[in-house]
Amino acid sequence: MNPAVHLDSITKRFPGVVANDDVDLVVERGSVHALLGENGAGKTTLMNVLYGLYEPTEGTVRIDGAPQEFDSPRDAIDAGIGMIHQHFMLVDPMTVWENVVLGNEPTTWGGLRVDADAARESVRELSARYGFDVDPDARIEDISVGVQQRVEILKALYRGADILILDEPTAVLTPQEVEDLYAVFEELTDQGKTIIFISHKLGEALRAADDVTVLRDGINVGTVSTDEVTREDLAEMMVGREVLMEPAADPREPGERVLSVSNLHAEDDRGVEAVSDVSFEIRAGEIFGIAGVDGNGQSQLVETITGLREATAGSVRYLGEPMDDVSRRERIDRGMAYVPEDRQERGLVMSYELTQNGILGSQHDAPFASSGRIDWKASRDHADRVIEAYDVRPPDREVTAESLSGGNQQKFIVGREFERDPDLVVATHPTRGVDIGSTEFIHDRLLELRAEGKAVLLVSSKLDEVQGLSDRLAVMHEGAFSGVVDPETVTEEELGLLMAGESPDDESVETARVYEAAGDGPHGGPAADEDDDRRNGPAADEEVDA
Amino acid sequence: MSRIDAIARSIREFLRTFVDLSVAERLLISVAAIFLSVVVGFFIILASGRVAACETAAWTMPVTGLGFCYDPFQVYAVLFNGALGYPFAFGEPGLFNPDWTPFNLSLGLTLSETTLLVFTGLSVAVAFRAGLFNIGTQGQLVVGGLATALVVVAAAPVFPTGRLGGIALIVIGVFAGAIAGGVWGAIPGALKAYADANEVITTIMLNFIAANIAYVLVLEVFRAEGSSVVATQYVPEHAQIQPWFFPGSADFAEAALLAGVLFVVGLYVLIEHTTFGYDLRTSGIQPAAAEYGGVNAKLTTVRAMTLSGALGGVGGAVWVLMSEGRWIASVPDLGFDGITVSILAGNNPLGVFPAAFLFGLLKGGALEIGFQTDVPTELVAVLRGLIILFVAMPEFFRMIGRYAGLDGSGPASGATDDSAAASEGGEADA
Repeated sequence: MNPAVHLDSITKRFPGVVANDDVDLVVERGSVHALLGENGAGKTTLMNVLYGLYEPTEGTVRIDGAPQEFDSPRDAIDAGIGMIHQHFMLVDPMTVWENVVLGNEPTTWGGLRVDADAARESVRELSARYGFDVDPDARIEDISVGVQQRVEILKALYRGADILILDEPTAVLTPQEVEDLYAVFEELTDQGKTIIFISHKLGEALRAADDVTVLRDGINVGTVSTDEVTREDLAEMMVGREVLMEPAADPREPGERVLSVSNLHAEDDRGVEAVSDVSFEIRAGEIFGIAGVDGNGQSQLVETITGLREATAGSVRYLGEPMDDVSRRERIDRGMAYVPEDRQERGLVMSYELTQNGILGSQHDAPFASSGRIDWKASRDHADRVIEAYDVRPPDREVTAESLSGGNQQKFIVGREFERDPDLVVATHPTRGVDIGSTEFIHDRLLELRAEGKAVLLVSSKLDEVQGLSDRLAVMHEGAFSGVVDPETVTEEELGLLMAGESPDDESVETARVYEAAGDGPHGGPAADEDDDRRNGPAADEEVDA
Repeated sequence: MSRIDAIARSIREFLRTFVDLSVAERLLISVAAIFLSVVVGFFIILASGRVAACETAAWTMPVTGLGFCYDPFQVYAVLFNGALGYPFAFGEPGLFNPDWTPFNLSLGLTLSETTLLVFTGLSVAVAFRAGLFNIGTQGQLVVGGLATALVVVAAAPVFPTGRLGGIALIVIGVFAGAIAGGVWGAIPGALKAYADANEVITTIMLNFIAANIAYVLVLEVFRAEGSSVVATQYVPEHAQIQPWFFPGSADFAEAALLAGVLFVVGLYVLIEHTTFGYDLRTSGIQPAAAEYGGVNAKLTTVRAMTLSGALGGVGGAVWVLMSEGRWIASVPDLGFDGITVSILAGNNPLGVFPAAFLFGLLKGGALEIGFQTDVPTELVAVLRGLIILFVAMPEFFRMIGRYAGLDGSGPASGATDDSAAASEGGEADA
């Protein structure tokens, strides 16, 4: 029997770059195949060839053994291929069934009217057949990201897809939703569908796939069955060298209080309260983690701390001083580094070259500016240093930010912010979209910053990341902390429950202690009393729960 | 060796400013737009020559034998050659006209328009770079010009009438114009920053307010005695910017053009090489990133509009001190033409000069066409409109480029129009 997909020595060249070099890929019908690789390994390019977005320079695409020539995704869809992009392409105010049939609506009245009943019925039927549990009449904006993803899959199935390509499908999901997605994979393959998903996460490739193909620098390093391979093997295949899998975080004694947030409230752009009564503090030499599903107020909390958003109530104190009337620029100058969540909107000016991006935030300060004039030479040297130290590819300060891949954009931002010599580092999703080699490096740098006595606020939706690096870990749900836990002892299930806003069984979570956040003294409260018994003694501390 | 490397590098850095992909692309688009509008204009001249009535055909189309009242070749020859004062002699032995002198009236008129458009073009360009659409340069020019005329007339008795006194008066007058224009520009800037009022609307409205307030003020208070038009007194002769070589009737002074060039260079340095310029550009391109980078968006808006207004005001000052010698109610549309100049220049200060010169040529050429031919000068306005039309559709040229295979659909092109393609390209890059 022919394989469902056979990419036969595909080469895709762009001017000056070979994105895929003689890549073979064989995917059997009814299997789940993971395409694993670091950023820039050529995974997405390869899948775009399969989906008809790119024409291969050389090589043949075979579907069920028959060679195909796709001029556009339309041809690929006709051949039974569906692709679910990382960013969903759904119309938010419309219902599920409307989104699913959009562009292929069943009609009556000679094509003048959409046959809503037939459409709804066929969506319901599809959803039931694969056990999707999706309400056809729900609006997209009202359903969770995990369900939205299922709607995307329904869209592809509705168009007759037998082969589904998913680009980084787990990037936006909670752990529970990820499990649900794996169940969906199983249901789909049981019914003869074939799934290819792109990932740079080892764990998920091992967990969800039958076979894994690893790409590195545009070359197929090998295809292996997940039964016969370990994490370490895969990591080595991806990176080309041995990789240390766990960040080595040894606890340190934290020092002076750097940031304290008390009873903070903030609103989102629509004026809806997004942060409700959040209090915590971070000391020098400490990493405070905030976990949670995206969109639970983390962004607003961080923006309020970094000076991009005004608090509606409560206060932020930094290095002992209230920050109410301190501008964003002043906060930068006082040593607040910030890796923003939205790198393409905020963190980088997309049409600027890296040189110009390298001074964003420091454009007023020595050595990049003196008496109002920018020293482009110093700026170029700085960009070169960041590019070199953080392995930004391509290593060319003259390329614009928009021409870098997402992971390399992120590395550049992280490098720029970490090199500021800050007192406080606010890092939101610092490794989102970053390959494991660089993730490891960024994690090491975060730990180094901690060792240098910096305070770090780490916000991430990657549980292993926040859990592995943080000294204390808060979970945020609907604008409030649903719990502050000890990352050493908490389990993934308990975190998942906290992320969903449910309070786990009290005994099962060792609730970590936070000290009084209402910093009253200019120097962070009574001096020596708390430091020593912070970790072990409940004496002066306050228990926090949901 | 490393020394040579360093020198080679810095030369390369310097040259790169001019071959920057986006700059080169814009340049290409502007040149293509001019070329296309000449081609399309050719047919419009033919068509209007077909419907016009004339005794004998000025041009007969080969093969078909159709006659046309206007000869497009002649129109273009008169337009561009005439605007320079006929340096070329068509049909004569030898390409150049032996009687041509550079300091002729036609070229003077062309350069006079060029000079004024340099200032208004810069005014619009600065606002554009900050992401602000200043339609109000016209009003800023009106206000600035009036302030210049009034201040110079009032201050003239205090200063000696010699050369130095004249220079002092000119400097004072230009400053007065800059301040008045700056204030007039700051108003919509502040309204935008602190009251969220759309600057397109407010600047348009302030144009009317400026024109009418100035008109009433001059009509009722500052009108020169015995003047048949609504105009102020003339500023004294020695306080007018006088030409060195050109005939006085051209209303052009080389010193003003030189100042314009200095402004172009100064603005370029300000935008590309200062912190203020960095803040301004960043706010213009990506306000959220500017905010992240500690740029005070409100203050930058006000500052950019003030600077833009001040440049418009300087344009008004030059108009008064170089062209008219007084403020007169029939203010030409220099501010509006500044918008077209800026667009053609891709909002780059360095591009403003050639763009202003092109529009100066069209102005000077239009006058020549009026003198020399039966062709209505409105056709030149059509040509100007066509240029802007084509410049305003860069996507059209990109499309042509793609079909011609000029575009390397890969990472190097950094496809801006398609974010998906951009990230894909980047992926392939590494």
